[in-house]
Amino acid sequence: MRLANGNRGGGNTDNAMMKSLLAATVLLGLGSAAFGASAVNKDAEPRTLIVTEGGSKSELSLAGGETVEFCSSGCFVTMPNGDREALTGSETIEISGGVARIK
Amino acid sequence: MSRPINLFSALLRRFAVLILLAVLTAAGPVVAVAQPSDTVADAVPAAIGIVASQRAKIDTITKQVDDLEKKVDASADDDLGLVEIRSELEPVDKALLESGVAFRPRLGEINARIEQLGAPPAEGQPPEPEMVSTERRALTNEKAEINVLLGKAEDLSVRVNGLANKIQTMRRDLFANMLTKRYQLSQAFSGEVGQEIQTEFSSFNRSISSWLRFAFQFKFQAMVGATFFALLAAALLQFVGKRLVRRVIDRDPTIEDPSYLARLTVAFWSTLLPSVALSVFLSSTIGLFNYFNVLRGDIGSYLNGLVGVIFLTFFVYRLSHAALSPDMPNWRLIPIESRPARVLVWLMTAMALVVGLDYFMGLISETLSSPLSVTILKSLIAAVIVGVLLVLIGSVRPFVDVQGARRRWPATLRFLLYFLGAATVVAALLGYISFAQFISQQIVVTGAMLATAYIGFLAARAVSEEGSFSNTFIGRRLKARFETEDTTLDQLGLAASVCINILIVIVFLPLVLFQWGFQPGDIATWLNKLATGFQIGTFSFSPFAIVTGLVVFAIGYFITRWFQSWLDDSVMARGKVDTGVRNSIRTVVGYAGLALAALIGISAAGINLSSFALVAGGLSLGIGFGLQNIVQNFVSGLILLAERPFKAGDWIVAGATSGTVKKISVRATEIETFQRQTVILPNSELINSAVGNWTHRNKLGRIEIKVGVAYGFDAKRAHEILLEITRNHPLVLKNPEPFVLFANFGAAALEFEVRAFLADINNGSIVQNDIRFAILDAFGKEGIPIPSTARFIEPPPEENWPIDDDKLEAEHYEKEQVKAKAAVERATKRRPKRPDPD
Repeated sequence: MRLANGNRGGGNTDNAMMKSLLAATVLLGLGSAAFGASAVNKDAEPRTLIVTEGGSKSELSLAGGETVEFCSSGCFVTMPNGDREALTGSETIEISGGVARIK
Repeated sequence: MSRPINLFSALLRRFAVLILLAVLTAAGPVVAVAQPSDTVADAVPAAIGIVASQRAKIDTITKQVDDLEKKVDASADDDLGLVEIRSELEPVDKALLESGVAFRPRLGEINARIEQLGAPPAEGQPPEPEMVSTERRALTNEKAEINVLLGKAEDLSVRVNGLANKIQTMRRDLFANMLTKRYQLSQAFSGEVGQEIQTEFSSFNRSISSWLRFAFQFKFQAMVGATFFALLAAALLQFVGKRLVRRVIDRDPTIEDPSYLARLTVAFWSTLLPSVALSVFLSSTIGLFNYFNVLRGDIGSYLNGLVGVIFLTFFVYRLSHAALSPDMPNWRLIPIESRPARVLVWLMTAMALVVGLDYFMGLISETLSSPLSVTILKSLIAAVIVGVLLVLIGSVRPFVDVQGARRRWPATLRFLLYFLGAATVVAALLGYISFAQFISQQIVVTGAMLATAYIGFLAARAVSEEGSFSNTFIGRRLKARFETEDTTLDQLGLAASVCINILIVIVFLPLVLFQWGFQPGDIATWLNKLATGFQIGTFSFSPFAIVTGLVVFAIGYFITRWFQSWLDDSVMARGKVDTGVRNSIRTVVGYAGLALAALIGISAAGINLSSFALVAGGLSLGIGFGLQNIVQNFVSGLILLAERPFKAGDWIVAGATSGTVKKISVRATEIETFQRQTVILPNSELINSAVGNWTHRNKLGRIEIKVGVAYGFDAKRAHEILLEITRNHPLVLKNPEPFVLFANFGAAALEFEVRAFLADINNGSIVQNDIRFAILDAFGKEGIPIPSTARFIEPPPEENWPIDDDKLEAEHYEKEQVKAKAAVERATKRRPKRPDPD
């Protein structure tokens, strides 16, 4: 019984280290956390999306193979082939052959 | 016996319900997914359904936005109205997005179907069947329609956002205009103003009396009922308050020197609780009057204003009274004299009353749409009075110096008060009446709130100080009932202090913000943003989600702890599992649970683990180098837990360290040496080098005792005695048998070695002691000497060399002199004594 108690009480240094490691990973995660939709251009040539977000329209051009994060809180997008879509901000758009698909 | 069974069945039922729920929620998406495939079968009606329904929705929203836009223009002067409109705009934007997203499944279907149908045949190729081209045409048309609708939604969304920005600008302008507007004071001093005041007064009178007549004639019962209930509520509050909180808010005159914390607490609560009680009473009164439909529109706003004035004055009175405590010098927060304290309380209360009345009269003027001159005049008077009161407060001499002469406030405070007073008066006299009004309102209302909050903060700080919580009422109760320790109480005090701080921020921050022209709608919008996240630069940040993640992690952590101790105490202890195994399982479960909780917490916080993986991948090389040791130890720890070369409680020897294993953690192992020193040994060392374990499978161990017997005695007899002594010791095992080795013909003695096995090596020292004493006794009886090496015996020290040289020399000289004299004497004496040679 005494041993068990000892085990429960001890080991502060270890716990502290694990905690700091954990905190570091969480911070890292926060730093890298990017909310929002992302668009991937799988074509070789650049493609342009027209994004309307928060009352302003802007063109988002993607070089070949580029991935871009945008639209954190919902937006309307006009695809390269003229299709329109509304995004809530968690989708991934994949452009291949000039056609965009939402995943 | 029946109770546990009942409990069990109840648990089972609950579990079944849970499973059912889980199944249903899992099936939900399936149903949702299944729906579109149904619509494929009868594609056209369903598709028309979604386009039509969304079109209707978007049309409704368009109309709503049109209405809101008109409203914005209409309420250009009304800050409150603008805020309301803005808060209505937010859900509109969301609804637009939602109806846009609603098209997605249908769009996906159309695209897939068009792809299936393929491109229309080029010229020269055989024509496709009529059906195919019809379907393609229909699909393309539908898609075009959807695109048009989406475009409409997009334009609307732009409009809505533009409107929100416009409202923001309008409100800013409104505020700036209010502050910078200059009125012509000459209007207020024209001859007609007296008459206008009279007119206003009489029309106010008329409206009140007409309402009273109306109320008495038609609503008499309702009015009596409302008044009765309001008074009842007041009596109830008074009673409950007296019973419950008197201990907290009453100053005890018998206490001669109350502690700072006690003074602060009493000041804080005696301000807050009565004010809250009063506000509850006042608002319930208004609510009751409204409920019984006694109030008319104008009377309602008068009553609201009046209630505001009463509350403000009461609050400021309570606050100043609490802080300055004019009747009981012991309980005063600031060490000032009694008379100035009384004066200050009255001055502050008067200021609050003037500001409140100014507000109330403004309300009357607004309701009666009285001429500008009256409004200007009364605001001018109010602003000048407030300014004068401020200067008066600044010129009070509250302190007494050593000689007994009165001293003023510290210079900074005094000049600040003078400056504020002068600014109010000057601004009002120059015609900036709204500005003066704004300043005086801020000084009184915001000042009162900030002062209360400040007292609260001070109390929180005082609570967190060492030993102060145990002296409070709650601390004493805890101590008496639960025998809580002082350190625990201190920690509780710290927690209480944090809670008080948070409470103060939650209560006072919105109040102060309201005062500064923010509307509840603003704050609601902020909270909404806080919940959904906002963007800083390119990355979004959602405090709400992060808090959620932390809470989820905390819950996971506690569940892990609970599971761990349940597994350990109830399952493994009952199952008589070996301590080492228990410890290993416990540790592994703990870390696994922690990792799981962290993962769930991170995903609950909305942090994308894939982006995290990207960073981890980038940093892995750096981490690999930097944390090489730690990772090595970590892995070693896992191996130790799995392989278990030793367990907690074992006596191990690792390198120079020998002791009992206390705890095996993931990075290091804690060993307690027999000197009770705790050694933290990194796990990698325990894995990479040899570790001796005295108690690995069993605690069996051998002890050795060396004995020397002098030459010339019977060695066999000595051997016999030694064996007998060892055999007769109760802790020495019979099997394996103890053994006495005749080890060597040594330089000085015949050397023997007693070897004995013990069931528990931890008793080694005791047994060795016993046997050695027994040997000494037995050899003594038998007359067998144990030779010891001849030792050099140090001779006693000689007389010390004296230190004083001069004295020594003098003594030496004296001695020489005496010797010389003696020699001379001897010579002279001897000569005659010399035997004659003759």
